[in-house]
Amino acid sequence: MALHAVYPSWDGSKALKEAAEICFKCGVCCVLKAHSCHAQYDGQFDPRHTFVYDCLGAEKPVDNPNLWLCVSCHKCEELCPYDVSPVHFIEAMKVEAFESGGAHTSVLSEIEQIIETGFAFPLTVSSARQREALELEPLKSTALGDLKIITEETGLRTKLRKHKEAEG
Amino acid sequence: MRFSFFRGCFIPVRLPYIEKVSRLVLGELGVELRDIDGFTCCPEPVGFQIHDRFTATVIAARNISLAEDAGEDIITLCNGCTYVLRQVNEGLKADEELRDRVNDVLSSTDHQFRGTVDVKHFAHVLKEDVGVKRIKEKVEKPLLGLTVAGHTGCHIVSPVDVMGFDDPFDPVVLDEMVAALGAEPADFDLKTLCCGWTLTNYGDRESANKLVGAKLSAMRGAGSDCITAICPQCFYQFDTGQMLASRRLGLDFKLPVMFYLQLLALSMGYSLDDIHYRMHRVRDPGFEDKIGRLLS
Repeated sequence: MALHAVYPSWDGSKALKEAAEICFKCGVCCVLKAHSCHAQYDGQFDPRHTFVYDCLGAEKPVDNPNLWLCVSCHKCEELCPYDVSPVHFIEAMKVEAFESGGAHTSVLSEIEQIIETGFAFPLTVSSARQREALELEPLKSTALGDLKIITEETGLRTKLRKHKEAEG
Repeated sequence: MRFSFFRGCFIPVRLPYIEKVSRLVLGELGVELRDIDGFTCCPEPVGFQIHDRFTATVIAARNISLAEDAGEDIITLCNGCTYVLRQVNEGLKADEELRDRVNDVLSSTDHQFRGTVDVKHFAHVLKEDVGVKRIKEKVEKPLLGLTVAGHTGCHIVSPVDVMGFDDPFDPVVLDEMVAALGAEPADFDLKTLCCGWTLTNYGDRESANKLVGAKLSAMRGAGSDCITAICPQCFYQFDTGQMLASRRLGLDFKLPVMFYLQLLALSMGYSLDDIHYRMHRVRDPGFEDKIGRLLS
């Protein structure tokens, strides 16, 4: 249970190194079409160059835009016969990219949206109209004070501000 | 049985008619939903949780603590919300040191995680608390002759030890829930393949179209009249995503998707209008005729 549960202290860089060494490049995680990785459907991959090889083999992983195709479905982890657990090292690379200001723009905008409104999606006029027609109560942002306190104490807000400043 | 109702973001904002139907159907099954003032986004797993696990853990723990204050387990409508909240709930119950760190931050907001409740997807609740027998008792119009392709989705089955719902490579629970309504579960290839929602968001739309097209063709090839999903993002991908993919790929069929609770409502005698089918992007006259005959 503890392995998957939150793994906040998981040493991504160490695991990354180990994963690269252990991966046998058997391709099981990506090429079984009925069960495997959805990212493999991206046109640039094939059984000789799978999505996971692409992530593992990138010279500068954090600059590899293919990282963001991973949805953390854990199928690669469950299929891997060598316990490499590709999902963990792909997530570690995403963290590295985020920390260095190189995350996908959708990631940054979603995080901001959540901490500023409490919702992952914008509250639109159209949604308000639909809710009214369905006699559902209007949506409102709540707990924004709590979200501000939490994200300031954990340092997330500072991190986002720095990324923005770096972008100019 | 009463639960703190964690409706998430996607359904109330993008698919409010699913919220409406869910409240109606779960209520009829004896599942009382208590609205909690102060729930925020879970937070969303792929965009938020992965990138700052500690902050995400604190936000999720705060949400769980509100249900703890109410003394009720949480019920969700979304695979993603369940994935985040269960990971955090089980993780913090098992890790005292992390729990203390999280509670240190939470104390500034007058909340504390205590580890006293469970987090369940509505499908967990139907399977474990309501039970197939009770569902069958509520069926007034068995969906006989309707073939339904069940798409369980990814985040409710993995990681297996945390989610505790079904086998990721041979899921059967949703099919059992479909069969309980009198319908025939479709046996199709690519059953456990992801819906491709994230390819749409972060990848190449053509690839997402290709994936959805392949999956829909497999469902159609198995004789499906419709799809059923238990996750709003999967639902959206099979509805709006199908519409977009179909334009591009020129698919010669339409396969409507039903959120499972909509399908359940039909079997209870509610009409297509009652479940707000008119708000779906993908509608099919053949499916409508079949439902019309079953409900008459």
